[in-house]
Amino acid sequence: MAWLGVVPFFAYACMFLILPAAVVMVGAFNSDHGGFTTSNVTAILRTANLRDAFWASIKLSAITAIAGGLFGLLIAYAAIRKGTPSWVRSAFGTFSGVAANFGGIPLAFAFIATIGTIGIVTQFIDNAFGVNIYQHGFAIWSPRGVEIVYLYFQIPLMILVIAPAIDGLRAEWSEASSNLGASRWQYWRHIGIPVLMPSILGTLVLLFGNAFAAYATAYALTSGTGLPLVPILIGNDLSGNVLSNPHEGQALAFGMFVVLAAMMIFYIPLQRRASRWAK
Amino acid sequence: MGEVKKQRIAPSAVVWLLLGAAYFLIPLVATLLFSLRNANTGRCCSLSAYGVIVHDPEFWSTIKLSFRLALETIVVGLLLFVPTIYWVHLRLPRMRPVVGFMALVPFVIPPIILVVGLLKFFKDTLHAPFWFLGKPDLFLVGAYVILAFPYIYFSLDAGFRAIDVQTLTEASQNLGASWRTTLGRVILPNIRVAALSGAFLTLAIVMGEFTIASLSAFHTFPTYLQQINQDKAYPAAAATLLSFGITWLAMLSILLIGRRGGQRTVRVGIGR
Amino acid sequence: MEDHEEQEVEFWRRLDEEGISRSQMLKRSVAAAAGLTVLSGPAAALASRRAAAAAPPLKGTAANMNALVAAAKKEGHLNVIALPPDWANYGQIISTFSKKYGIPITSDNPDGSSAQENQAIVSLKGDPRAPDVVDVGPSFAVLGTTQGLYAKYFVRNFAAVPRAMKDTRGWWTGDYWGSITIGYNASLVKTPPKSFADLLKPEYKNQVALNGSPLTSNSAVAGVFAAALANGGSLSDVSPGIDWFAKCKSVGNFIPVQTTPQTVASGQTPISIDWDYNNFAYVKEFPAANWKVVLPSDGQYGGYYCQAINATAPHPNAARLWEEFIYSDQGQILYLKGYAHPARFADIVARKAIPKAVASSFPSSWLNARPKFASLGQITTGKALINSQWPAKVGA
Repeated sequence: MAWLGVVPFFAYACMFLILPAAVVMVGAFNSDHGGFTTSNVTAILRTANLRDAFWASIKLSAITAIAGGLFGLLIAYAAIRKGTPSWVRSAFGTFSGVAANFGGIPLAFAFIATIGTIGIVTQFIDNAFGVNIYQHGFAIWSPRGVEIVYLYFQIPLMILVIAPAIDGLRAEWSEASSNLGASRWQYWRHIGIPVLMPSILGTLVLLFGNAFAAYATAYALTSGTGLPLVPILIGNDLSGNVLSNPHEGQALAFGMFVVLAAMMIFYIPLQRRASRWAK
Repeated sequence: MGEVKKQRIAPSAVVWLLLGAAYFLIPLVATLLFSLRNANTGRCCSLSAYGVIVHDPEFWSTIKLSFRLALETIVVGLLLFVPTIYWVHLRLPRMRPVVGFMALVPFVIPPIILVVGLLKFFKDTLHAPFWFLGKPDLFLVGAYVILAFPYIYFSLDAGFRAIDVQTLTEASQNLGASWRTTLGRVILPNIRVAALSGAFLTLAIVMGEFTIASLSAFHTFPTYLQQINQDKAYPAAAATLLSFGITWLAMLSILLIGRRGGQRTVRVGIGR
Repeated sequence: MEDHEEQEVEFWRRLDEEGISRSQMLKRSVAAAAGLTVLSGPAAALASRRAAAAAPPLKGTAANMNALVAAAKKEGHLNVIALPPDWANYGQIISTFSKKYGIPITSDNPDGSSAQENQAIVSLKGDPRAPDVVDVGPSFAVLGTTQGLYAKYFVRNFAAVPRAMKDTRGWWTGDYWGSITIGYNASLVKTPPKSFADLLKPEYKNQVALNGSPLTSNSAVAGVFAAALANGGSLSDVSPGIDWFAKCKSVGNFIPVQTTPQTVASGQTPISIDWDYNNFAYVKEFPAANWKVVLPSDGQYGGYYCQAINATAPHPNAARLWEEFIYSDQGQILYLKGYAHPARFADIVARKAIPKAVASSFPSSWLNARPKFASLGQITTGKALINSQWPAKVGA
């Protein structure tokens, strides 16, 4: 009887998420003539540039998820912990809210204006230190450059989602631990991190998925030609000006689903293990 | 309550906060410098780019629409998800992985695929009437609630995890409170931060969502912003900053409203 | 498009042509037999005129223009899609049409792609917001035709549009064409480049950009075709073009940044390979960028776009009136003002219909440019080759 309480949610999810997604996934296995085929999906494994795109997307998402998670946690903790004025927390919190959804051309251009070939930071480093980073191999359209830009929405997302969990670190525990003679490091190792770990893991998965699906920013930075990424390929297939290949696009979408489902399967037992201390 | 010691800010906190602020603000400063350039000389300083945007009626009409959609999405989202997640934490803990998994599905389906799926499903399969498909407040909000779902879920989930739902509910009910009172006056104030966090994220999502609005032929603020960025140079930078600033102000207002209402918070159990 | 699809298109085209001539003969014989009785009965004539007015006309003629204008005004609105205001002067074309006929225009998704235009016809079918007319690349015009998305229409000036730029059955008509040019910021680029060969020189390091990726952008595909022509390739073989871009990238000149007004104004993309109408638009828009435009001396490639009417257009008469306007002298000269060669260019030049003041404002080398155009088959082959080779040789 208790499950009745979640019926409205599942009904909504069915209507606006599951069934529309299924409609598209089914398309991944349709051939142009309407029959069932797995060739669209297996083509992903067979074609070099599709494989490269998946590998590049996975790398980019993993790196920005971990970096975003780490920096986000450090900044969030710095903003929330005792001693920091509360306006700092509000400022970072609200800013993160906006920045987490800042993307596409505006974000790309903001960074081009900063670390592009004639960006203000590029020119500053050149004038102040005589080092032209572009001559030393850095480029904003390289994987490093794209990662730096991606962090602009990854870090804020981490800050936002981990804040309630940090709030859950009761001050009494920190006090009690220091009263018992534990160092800060010991507090973190035995209390802080374990308490936060389930939320951290969950947010890392969120960050990974966020980066994986990001399209507008990647396209704006690399004009879809510097770095092979799965969403860009999907965009090319479904809405480009050149070729229209909806089944490959849908197969790629299915591939994305598989990658993220795999992450989820990896995350569930980890999360359960990490939550063992509670209750 | 004992005396509250006023603690000084930790030095390591200062370091991280400054680094974070630098990383976030410098690109905005670069955009600002660009937006202040004079269109003819390409140098500082002129507000003409801002003038172009502020005098554009489409800027105002689209921003109003997007705000309205954001508010509607927040209301529908919270109404739908808060009771659901509460219920799952309270009575159906085994559903949590299922709901958690579903919270990842919107991430796995990029907006470009979701919108194609939604349009196909509602038009071809369900033959939905045009008053539904053509109204952003219905179709678009429906889609945006799904987009906001993962963020709202993870915020609320962390929030519910941080409080002892069972004890609070039992205590409240033992004291004779109805479900509504329990939910409204005991549980909600304790997940206030999480719910507000979810509301922030939803506002920002809706103010930044482009693909679905564009492909279903609606004129929202992000579609306007993208168009300006494709077609114009200096006004684009101005529009970017204006949108950033306006959204940030809106979030600060939500925060202030939330804080004012929180003065009647009832705290049960161990205080913070 | 696959080979078999091309054959299919050919097949239907031939069948259609046969069909028209058969039914035309039939009509002629019936008319002859009826002996123009239709004129003898005023009520019958009125009824047939009313019926013709209710259904949008198949052909534009001087005679039915008034009826068309009236019907369009009655519909009271026009939806266009994917027409950026500074692309081939569409901003002025839209506002002139609106003012002239008093019909407000909704310009949707100005930066949409051709694929999105066709997609909008499908997904917004029956919706009053659906686009009435589309302006798509030729491959998508053919695709839309085979998918039955368009309605046939012959504008009054149909005959004056070059045969290579239209579908003779009336499904779509080319509206303007452009050539690939090299645009550059004369303040940042000390030595003006004149050809593709020039652009490989070391002084252009980190400076050469395209308008998007050839995997998604029509302009970028055209850039590859032009590079192919400049490097010993041909319209049927664009691999030298792909190799040229790979070389340009390996020497460090080519940057994968999409040219936009912002990157031009800021100097992030000091050299841009793009359609002439886009590059020329930057000259006026950003005096500070000191933008100059040249036609590459070693490879001149042209491409056109196609107008088509949505088969299920919410405002079919307004759609046809729009096409009449675009193909009129006034409309075609508005394209020219946007530095796009209108489809009827040869015709209006021959009839001396361009005002002197307008004609003298253009560099004559550009005005008289004769780029090479690829056929649909060559475009398809070229795109397929780019799709398979570009990611590996240049980057996704």
